[in-house]
Amino acid sequence: MEHILIIGGGGTGGALSHDLALRGFHVTLVEKGSLLSGTSGRHHGLLHSGARYALHDVETAAECYAENQILRRLAPQAIEPNDGLFVALSDDDMSYQKDFMNRCRSAGIPVRCVSAAKALSLEPELHPQIKGAVQVPDGTMDAWRLPLHFFATAKANGARIYPFNQVSALTRNNGRVTGAKVKDLRTGRTRTLSADVVVNATGPWAGRVAATAGLDVPVRPGPGVMVSMAGRKCNMVINRLHPAGEGDILVPQRRQTIIGTTIWLADDPDQVQPPEDQVASLIGMGARLMPVLSKEPVHAVWWASRPLLQNGDMENPMRSSRGFACIDHLERDGVEGLISLIGGKATTLRAMAREAADLICRKTGRAIACFTASTPLISYRKIMQTADGWI
Amino acid sequence: MPDVTFRILRFKPGRIDPPAYVDFPVRLAPHMTVLDGLDQIRRDQAPGLMYRHCCHHASCGTCACIINGTASLACMTRVADLGEGPVTLAPLTNYPCVGDLAVDMRAFYKKMDDRWANIRLCENATADRVPPGVGQLMRLENCIECGCCVASCPVSGASQEFFGPAVLAAINNEMRNRPCRGEKLLQTAADQRGAPMCRRHLNCSRVCPSQVYPARHIADLLRAIDDKKKSGAF
Repeated sequence: MEHILIIGGGGTGGALSHDLALRGFHVTLVEKGSLLSGTSGRHHGLLHSGARYALHDVETAAECYAENQILRRLAPQAIEPNDGLFVALSDDDMSYQKDFMNRCRSAGIPVRCVSAAKALSLEPELHPQIKGAVQVPDGTMDAWRLPLHFFATAKANGARIYPFNQVSALTRNNGRVTGAKVKDLRTGRTRTLSADVVVNATGPWAGRVAATAGLDVPVRPGPGVMVSMAGRKCNMVINRLHPAGEGDILVPQRRQTIIGTTIWLADDPDQVQPPEDQVASLIGMGARLMPVLSKEPVHAVWWASRPLLQNGDMENPMRSSRGFACIDHLERDGVEGLISLIGGKATTLRAMAREAADLICRKTGRAIACFTASTPLISYRKIMQTADGWI
Repeated sequence: MPDVTFRILRFKPGRIDPPAYVDFPVRLAPHMTVLDGLDQIRRDQAPGLMYRHCCHHASCGTCACIINGTASLACMTRVADLGEGPVTLAPLTNYPCVGDLAVDMRAFYKKMDDRWANIRLCENATADRVPPGVGQLMRLENCIECGCCVASCPVSGASQEFFGPAVLAAINNEMRNRPCRGEKLLQTAADQRGAPMCRRHLNCSRVCPSQVYPARHIADLLRAIDDKKKSGAF
């Protein structure tokens, strides 16, 4: 079987290594830091029902819901499966309710109308003046342990996974990408890994990796700040019922409540300077949904760079597509041997992997079906027990 | 913003070997954590700096290291709270170091049975709070498996055999989550490498960044073991 080299140990790379290993390919994955240390591990932990995208991106919404249901089956130990509420704070918010529910239903997302009184009984810390709510099948995921299930299963099926191995350049020969030069940060040694297909799954760093082969990838870092408040103030995910915006989501997890998020456009994923005023502004917006949040101490402040696809309208990045692209550089640039898999959501990691693995099957002339939707994943602890430990 | 010095115990097998402290100037920024400082050093000064990190909000447990002498999460330690002087960083004690601040966690996880649950019922799951269609309100366990407790435990330091505080806390949680397996789990905890090996230093509860308080779980286990012994069951 062909050897596939995956660059990037985020959720996408993890899910792809699992899918390819299951189909019988030889798989090597390299990651410049520890696994899931780029964008994947740093999100607020929302297991999307898709409802958040229902008003402006029905296709992504439908895909999120399908994947939400699959992940609940595959990795129940990494998910708080408590659903979510979209809460109307004003009559203006309420005016979206009918349209919102219709759009969710057209995306296949089951929704339930919830009265203000019922919502307050489910989540007593909600603002007492809320006008109404809609229940959706959101959830919370453990942003480290959920994708680690995929890595664990991939490794058990033979994939070789090397954290702290940084790609310095893609290698090219006769117009095709043939592998990559990889530096082991532990030993300091650089080696060349040859592969039949190389997959660039480096999220907001994808442009930089592709540039080493003279190619470009339409990705733009879209950082966002998250603030976590001490104390678990809800069991369900709380969204504001209005078109997706900043500071309109609360995600409970363990003993904390996370307020998400903001967005701006950056040029370099390593040179992100979060605007100073965003923390106070996020807390203020979160407290409109749950007033108690303004009284709690800040538990953590952090940011992550989303890999935004540059496919048209970047004027309103909060509502730009969270879809993904699986780019065959043969079709795009006439260069064989390289695929870039970018964009997407943590919730859709398995679907992204399936599309890339299908493309790799077509490119290698293999007809092997995808079985990741029905193949159980093994515990994330397995990889920690057996890998060289510095995962 | 002023600078602060990060004094990092670096180690690369065969290259920086034995380990040696190296100083790095770090530009302070608002809300800056030790982990933010490490990111800055790796970006601007030492691209090969090895440290584990992921979630940046005390959910994954990967960024634990020894910060100014205490096992802590780099993501939860604000530089401004550390006072005057350099920020001294070393890899977690009681684990083999792989490179710089990254340690090998295999021994920790080999003792942590992968069948033990990582989610449990929410504390406040009264009937009126359960949404329609949701069977039970569940939440992720407090323990994030960071290893700080083991790194600070003198008994773990003296013997690799000791199960360690995190594993004993996990056993006690599992007994609560699955009472039907309680007897078998208690027998595991009663092993001579288990709860009886604890010497009540209590460092585990002091350093735990996730309010697990392993020492309390060990005390629970010891009481239950004692009861069983008194009743002649063990």
